Formats: sequence, C-alpha cells, structure tokens
Amino acid sequence: MAGKIRQMIDSIITQRAKDNPMLERVIKTKLILKGINPNKYTLQSEDDPVVLGKLEKMIADLK
Amino acid sequence: MNIKTAFSINETAEQSVDEIAKQFEMFDTELVLFFASTKYMPEKVSSLMQNAFPMAQVFGCSTAGEIVSGKMLENSIVAMAFNGQAVKDVKIEVIENLKDENSVKKAFESLETYFKEPVAEMDPEKYVGIILIDGLSGAEEGLMETIGDLTNVTIIGGSAGDDLKFASTNVYANGKNFTNAAVLAMLKPGVEFSFIKTQSFRDLGKSLEVTKANEEQREVVEFNGKPAAVAYAEALGTTIEDAPKHFMHNPVGLFIEDEPYVRSPQQIKGSSMLFYCSVMEGMELSLLEGTDVIGDTRTAIQQAKSELGNISGLINFNCILRTLELRQNGLDQAYGELFSDVPTIGFSSYGEEYIGHINQTATMLVFK
Repeated sequence: MAGKIRQMIDSIITQRAKDNPMLERVIKTKLILKGINPNKYTLQSEDDPVVLGKLEKMIADLK
Repeated sequence: MNIKTAFSINETAEQSVDEIAKQFEMFDTELVLFFASTKYMPEKVSSLMQNAFPMAQVFGCSTAGEIVSGKMLENSIVAMAFNGQAVKDVKIEVIENLKDENSVKKAFESLETYFKEPVAEMDPEKYVGIILIDGLSGAEEGLMETIGDLTNVTIIGGSAGDDLKFASTNVYANGKNFTNAAVLAMLKPGVEFSFIKTQSFRDLGKSLEVTKANEEQREVVEFNGKPAAVAYAEALGTTIEDAPKHFMHNPVGLFIEDEPYVRSPQQIKGSSMLFYCSVMEGMELSLLEGTDVIGDTRTAIQQAKSELGNISGLINFNCILRTLELRQNGLDQAYGELFSDVPTIGFSSYGEEYIGHINQTATMLVFK
C-alpha cells in the first residue's frame, strides 16, 4: 500500500491548523521534530508502519 | 508597571527571599516566577518563596546561573512578579513521572476543567504555556511531543540546572520541590506577547544524515552510513580524538524553514555520538559553526521591540553551553547588559523548549 502517510499528514494539518498559516508552520515543525518531514511524502510513498503509528497517535490525541 | 523583577545574592535562602519580598512590596503580586541557584536547598527555597507571597501563585526551578536585567549572575535568586493586568489568569500544573503520558493527560484535563474549554481548542494568541522540566530526566522530547499533540498553544521554557553538578535538578510549585517532574504554567496574559528563539550558528553546507540511531538514548550510531564519530570528524576535517574539542563550536542542526533546531554533541562513545537531545533516524542534519552570540541576541531583542512597540517583561531560557562560551570569551557581562533596559529574568538551562526540545539556543517569552 502507498500514500496513506501523505493523506494522514494532510488530514492532521487541516484539522489542527484550520487554514491558519502560522499554525500550519508550527504543526509542520512538530512533525519534522518527530522525524516525519511532510515534504518527503507523496501519494506514492510506501506506508511505513512506524511513521503511520506516530501519525495515528497524533490523531488519537486530538480527539 | 505590571511586571517587576528582583534579585538577591545573599548567603542564605531566608535572607535572599526576604530581600526579594521587600523589592515586591507595594506591588499587587498575583504570580511569581523565580530561578534559584542550588546554593539554596530546593525544599527550603520553594517553601520560603511561597510563604513570602501567600496570596500569589509561585513557581520556578533550580539553575546553572541566573540572568536579571543587565546582569548575568551566579549563586543568586532572580524573580519576576506579575500583577493581574499582566496576567489575567493562570493555572499551574505539576506533571510527575515524566515518561508516563497519562501524567500529561491528567494535567491537561485539569487545565480544561479550570479554563472551561478543551486544550485542543485554546487560542494560541490568548494563552501561552511556560514549562520548567527536570533537566536530568532525559524526558524532554517525549514530554514536549505529547504536549504538542494535545494543544496548539505555544509552550516555551527550559530544563532546570544544578550549577553544573549534574546530580539533581528541581522544579518548584506550590511551596514544594519536585524531581522527575515538570511544572507547566498556563497563562492567559492581559498584554500582547511574543517569542524569541535565537541561536548563533551558520550552516557549513556539510550534510550529516542520521542513518542509524538509538533514539531513546540520544545516540547516533551512523551518519551517512558511516560510524557517527568518523563521519562527524571527516566533516570537520579533523580526527576522532580531536573532534570533542569542536562540540561547542560545531554542533549540528535540523533546518526547518531556514531555521536551525540545534542538537549538541555530548560525547563520543565507541564510534557512536551521544547528544543532549534526541536525534531521529532519517533526519538530515547540517554541520554548524558558531557565530556572534552577542550580536545575534541584540538583533533578536531589537526585532521583538519593533514588533511589540515596547517590552514590559522578558523571560530568558539561555542554554548553559551558550553561557559557558560567553564566560570563556569574557562576554558574560556584555550578554547581561543586552537586557539592561528590559525587565528580564532568566537562567542558564540544561535544554531549551520551544515547540520541541532544543540545545545551544535562547528561547524567550516577551511581554508588551
């Protein structure tokens, strides 16, 4: 499978930043500090389970 | 005046706290933040400070040197008092057992109950968090990640020090002292606020990608597919034996939007390198070279002044490695003087917090 990481990153940024560019930058910074660089992932990127786990946790913490 | 600062270099905790209390007499103190040398026994100083301001909320931490307007100090207590105009509301939480995520969640539930809104919905333009963390816990990255996942509010702060003894660092709240803990103060300021993150390094254009790491131990096993110490020494053009002499002047940085998030090497262990903060596999780091701490800090303060119009209070979390470099170069008093006309307190920290955990940086919270 591929592309799930990109989809989850986009979903996190949309949900949390709510079109606020400053928040968008902060959330991208938080992701990079976790070792997930949003610029590295496309809809063709392989679904790495370690990265997916980190993103799932971020989404769960938001709820 | 809505924010006041004070300091004392008296010999005993009783004398110093008394002197600080006198400097805040006639001020309508609602919140006190203090930073104290480990010359003062942690259990004593926290209780004395709370007793000196029984109607206020009081929090702080131990240090490796203190900063107050115009001065860099050692063996002192520095304090900042806020009235109700400067800080409209505040809730202080103690997070114990730092590696237990549930401790953070419990603290955030308490914040939600107090402020009557979900922390995930709190407006980062109305709230700001100050965090002080046990500087020997090694838990800062995990804690900051968990907090960052729970809220959009900016959390800024530092890791407590212990005057370079590396034995025990303490955080203070409610008249008590804590280890393996963090104090998080969620503030609703009554004035505008902003942040400074300043570090003095330039990119040498030499990339070090982390190809193997032991993240929990803050250990990089390989850079660019080579033993970490070998790759770092090669990038510097020196030997492995000589490399530790370059640690302070040549740390590495994770660049995000042209801004380095500094990771400072601590030691070479075998052929691996240990750092003062976590470095993850896959991270592309750059070799850095130290520049002008005084000049860069001056510029950062001037920019904050221009942005806000004026500064009524500044809290400086200044990395101990910056302080040591300033002392080595005889520039510590020049650094203190940068804050001469700004009501300032700060301390030399074992790590800095701003969005995440970083090294060799000064993070500052600035009030208009």
